[in-house]
Amino acid sequence: MKSHNLTTVLRFEVFRTLRRPIFWILTLGVPVLAGAVLALIVFSSASGGEAIDDLANQSQAFTYTDDSGIVSPGVAAGLGGKPEADPAAAPGLVQRGRAEAYLHFPADPATQPIEIYAQDKGFIGNTAYSGVATNVLETSAAKGIDAKTAAILNGVATVSTTTYAEGVESGGLGAFLPPLVFILLLFLVITMLGNQMLNITVEEKENRVTEMILTSVNPTTLILGKVVAVCVVGVVQVVVFSIPAIIGGGFALSLAPPGFELELVWSRMILGLLIFVGGFLLFTGLLVCLGSIMPNAKDAGGAFAAVVISLLLPLYAITLILANPDGVVAQVLTFFPLTSPLTALLRNAAGALGAVSASIVIVELFLLSAVLLWLGARLFRAGSLSYDRKLGLLAIRTSMRSRGNEGP
Amino acid sequence: MSAEAVIDVANFSMSFGKTRVIEDLSFGVQPGETFGLLGSNGCGKTTTIRALLDIYTPTSGTLLINGKRFSPRAGATLGYLPEERGLYRKEPVIEVMTYFGQLKQMSRAEAKKAAGEFLEKVGLSEHASTGLHKLSGGQQQKVQLGVTVLNRPKLLILDEPTKGFDPVNRRLLMDIIEEQRREGATIVIITHQMEEVERLCDRILLLKDGRARAYGTIADVQDEFEGARLQVAFSGSLPAEPVSFTARINETNYAELEIRDGASGEQVLRELLDAGVEIRKFESSRISLEEVFLRVYGTDTEVAA
Repeated sequence: MKSHNLTTVLRFEVFRTLRRPIFWILTLGVPVLAGAVLALIVFSSASGGEAIDDLANQSQAFTYTDDSGIVSPGVAAGLGGKPEADPAAAPGLVQRGRAEAYLHFPADPATQPIEIYAQDKGFIGNTAYSGVATNVLETSAAKGIDAKTAAILNGVATVSTTTYAEGVESGGLGAFLPPLVFILLLFLVITMLGNQMLNITVEEKENRVTEMILTSVNPTTLILGKVVAVCVVGVVQVVVFSIPAIIGGGFALSLAPPGFELELVWSRMILGLLIFVGGFLLFTGLLVCLGSIMPNAKDAGGAFAAVVISLLLPLYAITLILANPDGVVAQVLTFFPLTSPLTALLRNAAGALGAVSASIVIVELFLLSAVLLWLGARLFRAGSLSYDRKLGLLAIRTSMRSRGNEGP
Repeated sequence: MSAEAVIDVANFSMSFGKTRVIEDLSFGVQPGETFGLLGSNGCGKTTTIRALLDIYTPTSGTLLINGKRFSPRAGATLGYLPEERGLYRKEPVIEVMTYFGQLKQMSRAEAKKAAGEFLEKVGLSEHASTGLHKLSGGQQQKVQLGVTVLNRPKLLILDEPTKGFDPVNRRLLMDIIEEQRREGATIVIITHQMEEVERLCDRILLLKDGRARAYGTIADVQDEFEGARLQVAFSGSLPAEPVSFTARINETNYAELEIRDGASGEQVLRELLDAGVEIRKFESSRISLEEVFLRVYGTDTEVAA
């Protein structure tokens, strides 16, 4: 009985979305735009870095004085430097354009700044002077020590960490990253499918279709069909998005330090999946209820924004949650329904969500989602017939007891 | 109520919060008849239909269609034009009609074919692929009617069917009702339009404040509110104290007589002839439904749709 006309609703909802040109413009446009922005950032960053490096390594005409005794005259000369005979007059000469640049190395460069007076060469060009100054200092300092020590001081040292949790080897960054995919998915669902989900119940009301449709479809079936349709549409979008995501991910992995490998910890992946599904259903249930109560999408906008902000709130407390997963803030965010999905996903990825906490979160999310979807179907029947009016508290209370009776 | 009644409502009451809107209502609609559910705004007509179609849960009583409580599965044989009506405005006309046909258990091919035929019939076939919102209001009304009868319903419920309709679509609606009647469909019309009711309906139920105030054939209801009337053209004088009638109008050579309870037209005729009145015209007439409506509601109620 519940499934009467479910496939008809599902088919109609999916195909009418896929038929819309705007859907494909947005679906294809977002990855294209994201790819273009990413390419621009990478290109700009690489070009800028190379330009700065080139400038730093280029021979610059400068004079210098050295109170530290570290600077090697040979190194400085190799980069275009000459000792300054009149340090007091040097800045003035630069200011009047009669000298290119003057560098003063202080007695203790670790605590005192290197003073640079130079001709303006623009935002990027000016960074070359500081590049040359640190290059002169570092290269001169390295001359006094062996190559291995110099490499260590330059931060080339690599680290291999093995950690244990309750006697079992726990994953590091390689195990942390894969479950984060569920956070990404939840974020995409909230941002890209939120409006469609809100329209699940608002549309019939706005178009005055409710009464005709309720004589052919049970409201629960109608909502179920629409939710599943939104999911199918979401899967299509994920497939489209996954192509640039895989390319981007591969590119990111190629930049990872040597020895870094992704590690799939299956327990975290399964928990992540369950929390994601629970979070998705909770979000859907909330929006179905919201859409049933409000007369139209515009009026539902404010409450919709509040729901979205609440769901994404844990993103602003990532450091706090990861640094102290058993702290009060992390615990509250973990078990408060609206913030639970993202917090639990974050802690799960970090391996900081115990079995008991995970069980409570999953049961809570699924139970609450079921209640909200049940209530949403009842409110839909009542709210959809109130058309231009917001559903009142009395009607909400009545809907929980019996079907539909909001009143004419 | 007859066992084979298409609609059987018994002791139906309905409250919204503490407000009682329907009080112990019982009525039935027989197969193939056209039934009028009448009353002013807010008297409970639409509430009754929504409860009948399981959109509202009745506070008490039973509302059955073909002996069962209505469920969406039974919607396959139902055509329902609600008072608050609309369709998916941004979808192509043919897709909307096909979708509603499929919801009524037609195959996609059947629904699409029936939709195409209807659009052809009402001159909208060139707009089949057009978004509904791009059609004029009158064209959208035609599509709405098409959706209502696409599945050739056995039970057609029309709530304020002519509300907002232009004369062309009003005519189309009447044609559709006639066609459905010929095909044997049972039709329920909820309306204030008494002319339509008198023209179309076999029986009526008149509601006021959620209670039945009149129920039966139109003639029964008219007689219930006022005894049958007679129009008489005559020579001579009417009896000063008539036994079988009272004279509503008594002019020279013309009178309108109301037959007293228990009397008949034949007795009136006999009494007139016995009194030496020469009869030139003797016709029976009844009060109009509109008069019945006004008698029930008085003049302080919003009557017009």
